[in-house]
Amino acid sequence: MGSPFDINGGACVAMVGKDCVAIACDLRLGMQALTISNNFPKIFNFAPSTYLGLTGLATDVNTVSDLFRYKVNMYRLREERHISPQTLANLVSSSLYEKRFGPFFVSPVLAGINQTTGKPFICGFDSIGCIDFAKDFIVSGTASDQLFGTCEGLWEPDLGAEDLFETISQALLSAVDRDALSGWGAQVYIIEKDKVTQRLLKGRQD
Amino acid sequence: MPGFDFSNYNRNAALHARGVPLPKATSTGTTIVGCIYDNGVVNCEKLHYIAPKIWCAGAGTAADTEFTTALISSNVELHSLSTGRDPRVITCMTMLKQHLFRYQGHIGAYLVVAGVDPTGVGLYTVHAHGSTDKLPYVTMGSGSLAAMSVFESMWQPDLNKEGAIALCAEAIKAGIFNDLGSGSNVDVCVIEKDKPTQLLRNYEKPNERGQKERNYRFPRGTTAWLNQKVISKEDMKKYVTIETLSGDDNLAAGEKMEVDV
Amino acid sequence: MAASKAIMRGPTIIKAEDDKTRQLNKNTLMAFSGEAGDTVQFAEFVQANVQLYSMRNDTELNPAAVANFVRGELARSLRSRSPYTVNLLLGGIDPTTQTPHLYWIDYLASLASVPYAAHGYAQYYCLSLLDKHHNPNIDLEQGMKLLGMCTDELKRRLPIDYKGVLVKIITKDGVKEVDFDNDKIVRSA
Repeated sequence: MGSPFDINGGACVAMVGKDCVAIACDLRLGMQALTISNNFPKIFNFAPSTYLGLTGLATDVNTVSDLFRYKVNMYRLREERHISPQTLANLVSSSLYEKRFGPFFVSPVLAGINQTTGKPFICGFDSIGCIDFAKDFIVSGTASDQLFGTCEGLWEPDLGAEDLFETISQALLSAVDRDALSGWGAQVYIIEKDKVTQRLLKGRQD
Repeated sequence: MPGFDFSNYNRNAALHARGVPLPKATSTGTTIVGCIYDNGVVNCEKLHYIAPKIWCAGAGTAADTEFTTALISSNVELHSLSTGRDPRVITCMTMLKQHLFRYQGHIGAYLVVAGVDPTGVGLYTVHAHGSTDKLPYVTMGSGSLAAMSVFESMWQPDLNKEGAIALCAEAIKAGIFNDLGSGSNVDVCVIEKDKPTQLLRNYEKPNERGQKERNYRFPRGTTAWLNQKVISKEDMKKYVTIETLSGDDNLAAGEKMEVDV
Repeated sequence: MAASKAIMRGPTIIKAEDDKTRQLNKNTLMAFSGEAGDTVQFAEFVQANVQLYSMRNDTELNPAAVANFVRGELARSLRSRSPYTVNLLLGGIDPTTQTPHLYWIDYLASLASVPYAAHGYAQYYCLSLLDKHHNPNIDLEQGMKLLGMCTDELKRRLPIDYKGVLVKIITKDGVKEVDFDNDKIVRSA
């Protein structure tokens, strides 16, 4: 049996643009080389402009997304406000580190715009909660090696929402086409200060 | 310690027994060094705050250095509040080693603790298993051998502040260039008695990324998409009341975070 | 939903008329495969708890709620010393929207909502047929025909006799077993 991170497959990427951020994932769910579903989104919404992408072992993607839905709902009830991306980053980090010696097999990616400062924010995590802050892009999943390459080549600073959409989409599609365990369609979220656009990409179904 | 949750441990141990490898945590390819001089101490790379005049450089499992130093920082603050005294470096070092020893090396934090306290300057290394060293110059992490070679050939007992900073930066650079795991920038923290601590982030940037020669911006409309959903504030107003708060940066003061620039 | 009727222990068939499904409430049915003992124990455990929930709260759970409950229980068991090794398919009609739902759950408690699904070796033979012939507006008659193509393929390619399948259909009126011709002889190509 291989690594638990490579059983179900999947890829996720987040990018910063000018006054906007984007986060995208593929839609495949598989068991080893067999594809089970081509409609398994890996990005979850936790506040009006805050999204969390989860790749890795599918059962833990389910469990961790359910867990954070519970935790973020409790936060919203207690505080009577939405959670900011920075606060969610710390919540994700400490929740994952709590399981330091029995981790969830997930590699989260967070993207959002802080509604108080209006500033874009992205970060990634390892499976035990170490935060990777980045000013450019974050990648995760079985196609992460390929994504590092495509993002390093395609990304540039201060892309507007429409250009950022093209850049993140092409980076993701090119990367997942080179990974047998990812692909089968993709979903992209373009997050601007007071608008979020969700798009379903036409990706290869093979 | 709030306590670790071992609820996934049995599952993962069972998976491991069936031949599944354990996950790799982010491990820092790191060079960290510290060096004392006449009246203060210099500490380099991957720095964590413990107290105003005690700083810690961490190597090893990144999440472990992050959370271990945050925990000890919190306990040092409480300790100094309850005793009414400035915290001491040796106290902090002892708390770190006792915590790490309890976990028998499973918490993979390798630290350099440096600071100034009422007893003078303190510079220690703490290993993940709980052993410690007290030395005038120290190195740790995968680049520690390269860095130590610089100290061993250039360190002198009577360094001044500028000399100590330069020597530490040189030692870090030896790690950056000679150890494959270590990379990019040099951060320096200078801690002196009766002076505010100076944190010099990106004190040296010997690996600045060059300007890209060409851009690969795609024409709009390149990517084919099947459908889209727009969630706008205008739409949300149909269901809830939305008020925009002033964009005062101070409002978000509590949410400020250290982000690599 | 269809499930094979054979119970096997090693190379021996010990039962040929088994029902590998349990009805969880009026409009949801769960089919299971996996480790002997675990399957029925787990299925009847969730069956009892779904029914208990409905009695306590005087509500029928919709298929999504049932699926997430079942997944939760399986995920909880996965983190224990002896987890259930059970693969599940959960089908049902939402009583309020009258829409059909199918969920695929594996022994690791991964949950996916799918238009068609299979577990075990059947996946390798049937999913390609379903990919080609299934469409979102398929009716019962076409569905039964497609199921026939699947079982034919299993008979043609699988080197084991699974003793035919038991077929149940779920409609807004409940679950009922339907006749299915298991005696058709399919020759290998």
